[in-house]
Amino acid sequence: MEVKILEQNGEHLVAIEGRVDTVTAPDLEMKVSQVWAMPGITLVFDCEKVEYISSSGLRILLSAHKQVVAKGGKFILRNLNKEVRQVIDMTGFSRILTIE
Amino acid sequence: MEKKLVIKNEISEIAKLSLFVEELSEELDLSPDLTFNLNLVLEEAVVNVINYAYPKNESQEISLSAQKIDDNLYFVLTDSGKEFDPTQVPDADISLSAEDRQIGGLGIFLIRQIMNKVEYQRIDGKNVLTLKKQLS
Repeated sequence: MEVKILEQNGEHLVAIEGRVDTVTAPDLEMKVSQVWAMPGITLVFDCEKVEYISSSGLRILLSAHKQVVAKGGKFILRNLNKEVRQVIDMTGFSRILTIE
Repeated sequence: MEKKLVIKNEISEIAKLSLFVEELSEELDLSPDLTFNLNLVLEEAVVNVINYAYPKNESQEISLSAQKIDDNLYFVLTDSGKEFDPTQVPDADISLSAEDRQIGGLGIFLIRQIMNKVEYQRIDGKNVLTLKKQLS
């Protein structure tokens, strides 16, 4: 899994590539947790190149949402592929997260 | 058709599991959707065993077999750890708001959602989890 974090158009964009599983999720959490502590930001996970996500990755989505919203910011999931979207739907996350 | 895998109770072994599912998918010509879902189910089940069945830092084995019988795919996950019945773990409550949602409980929920049957048995000091998926 590769993670790139950049600031563009007023957003903190996290571009994730590869598999977000129990092995790789801690690395994603470590990298993103440096960003989600900032107040009032718009944090975007670009999932276009995410091939797979397990519950370890889903937990990070929920944590990211909670952290960012608690500090007056916004958390957005963008470019989900069909399979990842199905898992997000199955777990009810599509009702509580903002998906573009 | 029967396929077997033995891994150690270490998180890094998850990579072997995804390779196992990929090979199985090629052999049985499974759809990308189903391949993804089976990978998810098996990862959740194996991670449960790694986290709960064995003491940390104790190297042990976990066995997985996959068998296609008629139109059903059966997975049997076996470990020699302490008695742990994942089917007794309560599901995550997916109706709650983001603020009230708990971080845990999703693994067993996903297993139940995806598979047609989830059965736990304690046999000869071993945890045996049988998972069934109907193929059509």
